[in-house]
Amino acid sequence: MDTAKNAPENPFRSRGGALVWRERALFSLFRAATYCILLCGALVLGNIVFKGAGTVFSSRFPFVNTTFFTEAPETLHVFEYEGAAHRLGDRDYRAFRATETARAAAEGRPAPRFTNEQAIVYSAGGILPCIVGTLLLVAGSMTIALVLGVASAIYLSEYAKSGPVVRVIRLAILNLAGVPSIVFGLFGFGMFVIFFGWNVSLMAGWFTLAFMVLPVVITAGEESLKAVPRGFREGSLALGATKWQTIRKAVLPCALPGILTSSILGIARVAGETAPIMFTAAYVVRDKLPWQVSEISDFFFQGVMALPYHIYVVSSKIPQNEHTERVQYGSALVFLLLVALIAAASIILRARLRRAYKW
Amino acid sequence: MPATAENTIPSSATTARPAFAITRKRTRFLGLTLDECIQAFFGGNALVALIVLALIMVFLFREGAAFFGQNQRNLTVYRQAGLEYIDHIRRQETAHTALTRRLYDLRLAAFTQLTQNQRLSPADANARLAALDDFSVRFSDAVMPIRGLVSDLGEVAAAIKTRFNVNEDKTTQRAQLLAEGRAAEAAQVVIEPVDFAAELQPILDTLPLYRETNAAFAAGLETLLTAAPSLAQIEPGLDARMDEFKRQTRACIATFPEIERKLAAWDYAQPVPLTASLSAFIFGRDWLTASFWQDWYGIIPLFTGSLLVSIVALLIAVPLGVGAAIYVNQVATPREQRLIKPAIEFISAFPSVVLGFFGIAVLGELLRRFSQAGWVHWVPGFPIIERLNALTAGCLLALISIPTIFTLAEDALNNVPRALKEASCALGASRLQTIVKIITPAALSGIISAILLGFGRVIGETMIVLLCAGNRIAIPDFTSGPAALTQPVHTMTGIIAQEMGEVVRGGIHYRALFVVGIALFLLSLAINYAAQKIITRYRIAE
Repeated sequence: MDTAKNAPENPFRSRGGALVWRERALFSLFRAATYCILLCGALVLGNIVFKGAGTVFSSRFPFVNTTFFTEAPETLHVFEYEGAAHRLGDRDYRAFRATETARAAAEGRPAPRFTNEQAIVYSAGGILPCIVGTLLLVAGSMTIALVLGVASAIYLSEYAKSGPVVRVIRLAILNLAGVPSIVFGLFGFGMFVIFFGWNVSLMAGWFTLAFMVLPVVITAGEESLKAVPRGFREGSLALGATKWQTIRKAVLPCALPGILTSSILGIARVAGETAPIMFTAAYVVRDKLPWQVSEISDFFFQGVMALPYHIYVVSSKIPQNEHTERVQYGSALVFLLLVALIAAASIILRARLRRAYKW
Repeated sequence: MPATAENTIPSSATTARPAFAITRKRTRFLGLTLDECIQAFFGGNALVALIVLALIMVFLFREGAAFFGQNQRNLTVYRQAGLEYIDHIRRQETAHTALTRRLYDLRLAAFTQLTQNQRLSPADANARLAALDDFSVRFSDAVMPIRGLVSDLGEVAAAIKTRFNVNEDKTTQRAQLLAEGRAAEAAQVVIEPVDFAAELQPILDTLPLYRETNAAFAAGLETLLTAAPSLAQIEPGLDARMDEFKRQTRACIATFPEIERKLAAWDYAQPVPLTASLSAFIFGRDWLTASFWQDWYGIIPLFTGSLLVSIVALLIAVPLGVGAAIYVNQVATPREQRLIKPAIEFISAFPSVVLGFFGIAVLGELLRRFSQAGWVHWVPGFPIIERLNALTAGCLLALISIPTIFTLAEDALNNVPRALKEASCALGASRLQTIVKIITPAALSGIISAILLGFGRVIGETMIVLLCAGNRIAIPDFTSGPAALTQPVHTMTGIIAQEMGEVVRGGIHYRALFVVGIALFLLSLAINYAAQKIITRYRIAE
């Protein structure tokens, strides 16, 4: 190893010392920040999944709690009777009370008395109307938002030349994205509910939510359209296609997967928002399911129960205890799963479309 | 093009030139070709964003603008019925009550000092403090004549106001009946107009009596102060607080002539201008509704609440979000990047109402338990008294805003030209030096606008603050320093969500909520504008 000894010292080798230590310390601080965020997210998620799983899933076939998914919310009655603690939903409670009274009457005893009785609203039964309402709200508002948003994006990316009008439109889109959701709620209330006289209805909720996600869809659409290579358009135009034919046949199919994926963000936001539907579409409680209407037009002008609003109601209007935990955590978990499901569906759709159109 | 084609083709029969294959007569609607129609359709759709923004403005103002007129009437009645007059006197009473509370605080401090540091039994300590107790009782009793006066006059004024309101109701009733064409019934609604001058006279006549009472009150306080017991033998620090208390009481007494002057100059007929209604909203320190005395619609307590919660959220979110952005963009391996970025973006899909529920169910209690542990008592505001407060809401809002800040800041770092980094490394700077001195400053405008947009996200968030901020309508007590961060607050977004469902449509309260909405809307526009301005102004040219 003589040569190595005689070779000049590597001038670029690390000298170690304070600088390196400082670098390491700061980098690990940044790393800690990153993993701290992830940990917090995981903790929240874990807490809800862990506690909610008991309500949503069951250990026996079919492994999900069917009551929770197929019934409407009910009042929970907690009481003690003849030394045993009972927890019954409203209908079961009435039936139980009637049979007990009848039995007592037959045996010639006085009417039964339940002790430690406690009635808690919304804590029994399931959340079917809420799930249905949320799905309806998401489907309707996304349809409106996609139509308006994609059309707007096509104009901005394919037709518009830069000028004052386009600048103003872009500014409007950016500003619309920053408007608080509760302001959208107020606006929807003022315009659709009062001015148009639609009352608290699906239609009012659809338009309010659609306007809220509009900026997300427009931005997503424009980016995806911009990502389609210029050659596609030029090739199509060179073949004699008109501008509209070019857009319809050459540009839009290639951009569609991108538009849909990026709109996931919008869908997740729509499904997750409570403030805009509080005054425009959501009822605290409603007996009928949305399709139980006498006329078709009633369908559009009925209020619905929505999952996010239901979560708000059960977490703020009823006390926190072991009897209410079931419905609270269950609703939260179902809601998270629903949002994840919508996102997953969009991702699958994107994969399919991407396979069909590749460049 | 056709010309060259013609030239190349040997033209034996130029007259038999074939018709151009794609030529077609275009259908026109309103003088536009089909393609132009389509363009117009898309162009119209592109305007939707602009239209929606305009509609939001229009409908918020449509519902909210009448607030200022209604509030002006509200304030006029407040003056005409004499409530304002009595509130001037009441201010003396409140000031005195605040002083009495300070005296009780002082006593508590002295008691703790005696029992804990000097190891006296509670009975002995109470005996030592007998002089102080006697003093506080006499001090707090001194206000009795004034209090009696306020309560007597208050009843009179409240009665005037009630009569006025009854009249208002009757007027609307009559107008309704007339509109329905029931003139006979309308004529039966008798309205007795309130003669404010005559009604107010008994109140105004008490001015000499008030002057007398006030002079006695001031003199009484002065004599009490000179005879105040000294706390020097208990603890010198406490004596300094006693002196401070005396100084404050004297300052309070010094304001009495001012109040008397105000009362003498007070005129019920002086009109309330519209600007007073506006400033009562913008600078109003109370949001008090459905009150028996007087409703106040002041945005300050709500605005400070929103701000406080946002500050907590940003204090947590900015270091974490920006730190994570720097880490992911500059330090992390590609594999880590691929994992972390979607994970953080997934957090942004958390519905805010679920986070709010988490705050109520878990985080609030967790933070309170934590703050009760002995080793964190040095933190200001700890131990936390209320489970739901600005801190709880702020922590969750931080989680909501981190994805926004992270994504935008990461974008900004990504947009820094590669050449800058390479040049820095070529000059022999270490990675840390490159990051701290070159890349971060270059991306600073983007990072600041990311923080601003994160702030906009936080201040507009509704469900978390509605569920977790504690919903107490009061300006946080900033005199206690950072401890204010652990107080329950109410916010602009929260108040709209909470009260909108319960108000009478078209009433002043309803309109006030819309005006709060307008304030939020304008605030969000301002934040957005600032963020864009920073980005475009300080962008690094590539």
